[in-house]
Amino acid sequence: MVGRALIGSLLFLSAFQATAAPLTVRVTDGKGRPVRDAVVTLHPNGSAARPSAVGRFSVSQKDMQFHPFVSVVPVGAKVSFPNLDSSRHHVYSFSPAKKFELKLFARDQSRSVVFDKPGVVALGCNIHDGMTAFIMVTDSRWTAKTGANGIVQFADAPNSPGRVTVWHPYLRAKANIVEQTLSAGNRSATFTVALRSPPMALGDGY
Amino acid sequence: MPCARSFPALSLTARLLAAASIACASPAFAEGVDILSPKTLSVTGTVSLAATDGEESWLDNGFGKLATSGDGDGFRVKPLLNEANLIWQPRFSWALSGTVVGAFQGGERNEAGISEAYLSYKPMRRSTTRFSARAGLMWPPVSLEHEGADWHVRDTITPSAINSWIGEEVRPLALEGTAGTNIGAHKLSVTAAVFAANDTSGTLLAFRGWALHNRRTLAFNAQPLPPFEPDDEGYQAHFTHPLLDVGSGFADRPGYYAKLVWQPPIPVRVELFRYDNRADPEVVNEDLEWGWRTHFNNIGIAADIEGTQFRAQAMTGRTRMGYEETPSGRHWIDMRFRSAFLLVTRPFGKVGLAARIEAFETRHRGSWWDDEYDEDGWAATIAGKREWGPFTGLVELIHVSSASPAREHVGLESRQKQSRLQADLRLDW
Repeated sequence: MVGRALIGSLLFLSAFQATAAPLTVRVTDGKGRPVRDAVVTLHPNGSAARPSAVGRFSVSQKDMQFHPFVSVVPVGAKVSFPNLDSSRHHVYSFSPAKKFELKLFARDQSRSVVFDKPGVVALGCNIHDGMTAFIMVTDSRWTAKTGANGIVQFADAPNSPGRVTVWHPYLRAKANIVEQTLSAGNRSATFTVALRSPPMALGDGY
Repeated sequence: MPCARSFPALSLTARLLAAASIACASPAFAEGVDILSPKTLSVTGTVSLAATDGEESWLDNGFGKLATSGDGDGFRVKPLLNEANLIWQPRFSWALSGTVVGAFQGGERNEAGISEAYLSYKPMRRSTTRFSARAGLMWPPVSLEHEGADWHVRDTITPSAINSWIGEEVRPLALEGTAGTNIGAHKLSVTAAVFAANDTSGTLLAFRGWALHNRRTLAFNAQPLPPFEPDDEGYQAHFTHPLLDVGSGFADRPGYYAKLVWQPPIPVRVELFRYDNRADPEVVNEDLEWGWRTHFNNIGIAADIEGTQFRAQAMTGRTRMGYEETPSGRHWIDMRFRSAFLLVTRPFGKVGLAARIEAFETRHRGSWWDDEYDEDGWAATIAGKREWGPFTGLVELIHVSSASPAREHVGLESRQKQSRLQADLRLDW
């Protein structure tokens, strides 16, 4: 009985073990240029590996902007919102995944919010209309955002078939998301996406 | 000399601020209150060095379109303490704040006063629909060139002719509301306002014509008018108070403005603006300041193409003053005006470059001033800008060419050309 359980555990673990090569997902635009801040998620068939909510996550406000522009946090993560500006910010979201508002006085005040549902949370500041940012709250262990090279790698991704999705705030697609199926043993995927240009700031003067 | 006058507008603003102060004493407003602390105060200022050729400035009893005077055929070089602003932005709650800007403006004419004083109400949005309101002394949201509490020009030293005029003659005491929403990926917002104390708007534009300068009219201060011909004396004061209710009672004939903004899901923004002061053109006060019935439409377009920003405005309007003569049915002054500009800006490393081209004209069809006073002109501007912490350095070369027959009445050539090279150092602290 114990031996069978041990074998079962080993087989389960082996499904998540790093294989010879990491899963590499590349996101480019129509001209072949890398797309940064695209959120890549692997959904292996039959697997429901949830990410750990342990860790320190923050979205700061500096120079009248949120930093980072796109964040990826696991479900249950506690995210702090430090205000590093000399003026106050009134941070809010009315996204279905998390509705909240934080009144942050000037410089160095920080408050936290727990994000308990998966989904996209769009952030804004009620005082400064030009401030915007996004938090992707994920229930998949394999979620990350692209850097300047447009690449995400999951070293411990299982070798099983599944789906890969790419989300970006300005992606031209329904719900700003596109997906590809991934066959067993396939360790790379390339997405060519079309992005909208960022909207123009309306300005805070009026 | 322009005389001091009583302004119901001022007392209304003071009452609004006082009411807000009382309201914030209640527990409901206790959180977020910051009436007077270092965080509510900021200082901005500009020192300049200008080399100007051509005619004397309109600020110097001339017909020059710029705020600095030339030296005939040669350049006149002049250092200027251009402006200094003390900005007070108290917060009465997280949704209610105030803005009061005390300004000093130097150059050809030194003056000090209040440039803006208004309350802003911006409740926390609960959905994609948002509401906000302002009340007090403020510029209507016309300019695509200005920003900040001190309403400074963002990319150049000198604003366009359109927004120069907004700064000097279109700053009423207003009650303004804005609602915005998203329809799909499109953003829409609507602004509507009623206002008072802007009955003389159009006086300067009619007598002087268009101008290009960053001197904003300070509350209750007067602007000088160009010299009149002897036959024209006795009808109109030699100055104009842009913040003035002419006639009986405060806000007897309130004006209005409205604005529609459309922002599609591409980096383009389109703004439509309509203003009508609804002043009675046949009303005059004891100082010979008249009501000027002025209305205008303005379209503004802003676009960002691969990091290059394009901003354009076009304005067309009409102003009328004086009695309607029979049988012509014309008021003494009946002037149509229009202007348009295109401003292109692009960052190159830490330096921002800007280039603007514009044209302007006036057409008189009044019984007193007719087409012999028509004006037309154009201007071209290039500027560079760089920021170092709280300091911003700007260099600008501007050239203005204009033809105005009014110059001939005082022995000048109708067509005048003027150029200026100016360097500014701005502080924002």
